[in-house]
Amino acid sequence: MTRPRPLDVLFRGLIWAAGIVGMALPVWIVGFLLVRGAGRLTWSFLVDHPRGYPPGTEGGILPAILGSAALILVGLVIAIPLGVGGGLYLAEFCPSKRLQSYARAAVEALAGVPSILYGLFGFACFVVFLRMGISLLAGGLVLGLVMLPILLITSQEAFAAVAAQYREATLSLGTDRSAWIFWVLLPKARVRILAGLVLAVGHAVGSAAPVLFTASVYFRRGGLHLDQPVMTLPTHLYFLVSEAISFDHAFATALVLVLGLAIFNGAAMALRHQMRDS
Amino acid sequence: MVLFLLKETGLFQGLLPTRDLLQVAAPWSPLATPPSFGLGHAWVGSFLVTGISLALAVPLGIGIGIFAAEIAPPAVARILQPALELLAGIPAVVYGFFGYVTFVKWYADWSGQPTGESLLAAGVVLAIMILPFIASTSAEALRTVYQDYREAALGLGVTEGCLFRRIVLIKALPGLAAAVALGLARALGETLAVLMLSGNTAAMPEGPLSRGQPLTALLATELGETAAGSPKYRMLFSAACLLLLAVLALNMGILALKRRFFEHLHD
Repeated sequence: MTRPRPLDVLFRGLIWAAGIVGMALPVWIVGFLLVRGAGRLTWSFLVDHPRGYPPGTEGGILPAILGSAALILVGLVIAIPLGVGGGLYLAEFCPSKRLQSYARAAVEALAGVPSILYGLFGFACFVVFLRMGISLLAGGLVLGLVMLPILLITSQEAFAAVAAQYREATLSLGTDRSAWIFWVLLPKARVRILAGLVLAVGHAVGSAAPVLFTASVYFRRGGLHLDQPVMTLPTHLYFLVSEAISFDHAFATALVLVLGLAIFNGAAMALRHQMRDS
Repeated sequence: MVLFLLKETGLFQGLLPTRDLLQVAAPWSPLATPPSFGLGHAWVGSFLVTGISLALAVPLGIGIGIFAAEIAPPAVARILQPALELLAGIPAVVYGFFGYVTFVKWYADWSGQPTGESLLAAGVVLAIMILPFIASTSAEALRTVYQDYREAALGLGVTEGCLFRRIVLIKALPGLAAAVALGLARALGETLAVLMLSGNTAAMPEGPLSRGQPLTALLATELGETAAGSPKYRMLFSAACLLLLAVLALNMGILALKRRFFEHLHD
């Protein structure tokens, strides 16, 4: 081994610096939010309504949390059947490899479409054309569309990953195809699909652009109704900052979002480990 | 699934204005008589912000990719991976807020202006946002090549540095290009962060330090206060359609690059 050349040493140093920056950035961002937001983050902040004038300067963010959760639930009602069903079709029933690869490319392209365009589509199609108005239903449908491609891709991969021996063993026992799907394929793929679901939900909870014009308002009283607008966590944060209402509350809201998502993604990672073990 | 895409574009096309879309020089002044809907400032804003973010994120992201794929000891790589995932999982609106209380505030303090929003701040935050995507895609490409060639090349007595420069980097080029294209597509379509950081001013930006209004910010600002079916509404949707086309073209490019990367790997 010859002595390393100075250029190589320099290069190595630069790469190490890049790697350290990559590790320091998330620590900096999350640490910053923690230091500035943790003081405001109390139990009553989570379970109280926004109060004060303008609303949001005091009180809590309960309606925003509930609104985000309700939007996700409505979205899942369409995203789960379409996503898992579509994945099942592509993995099991698709007649030709060619159609499969085209459909896969289309879904991947759909997954790459910016979220603001989902918002515009939802506004034109659900809010205006289908006359749903700015409502929980319209926003939930848009978030369903946002989650759909992620869920479809992960469930297709989950189905494709179930080993072929299972298939041959099951079918050779004389069972029909539906028994194979319901008793073997779905249970085997369940953990992976769940991990994909967590990924999709985590992505949808944080995105404000799709619900900005389709579901959310800055402040409202009363419960959740399908035909009424809701508050959501990301748009609440956006309004708090852009209208300069309360930076203290904005820090705490951002912290709730980031910590909530970190727990969610941690769950997904734990699922993946469980998957590797079993 | 293809139908979904067609439906989406088809719907937009049904609303496409028959008039010329590309009045680049005209100002955006929908309230003037006659109203004028020039989108030039928004395109310039979008390209400036995207350009700044790529200029920062591409070298750093590929650097992190090389670090993760080759240099990092396994223990460090085990920390780096979830750190990047965490970075990728932070919502855009939180990035926007973070940028607002850091870069924007610093610039306001430093320059003495009452507010510090600028295209530069939006570009810097955008760079942090696309960094994990560029890093993980390029790390994956480099790792694939490295596994294939490492032992053969080292067995021939080639040094590590030469192996890296002459073989790995060249073979991984399509994969690295795909990483850059992915970052570009994400940066072009990102909305909330640029909306909060760019200043959102409908004037032609004079430079990276001035305020501006990238296309996505324009869409997010104006859509809420536009009557459905009006000329302004159609203009916004045709702008969205152009954005969609640009991003779809980029995605097709990424797919083609990835395919090429895997086909040529074993030549």
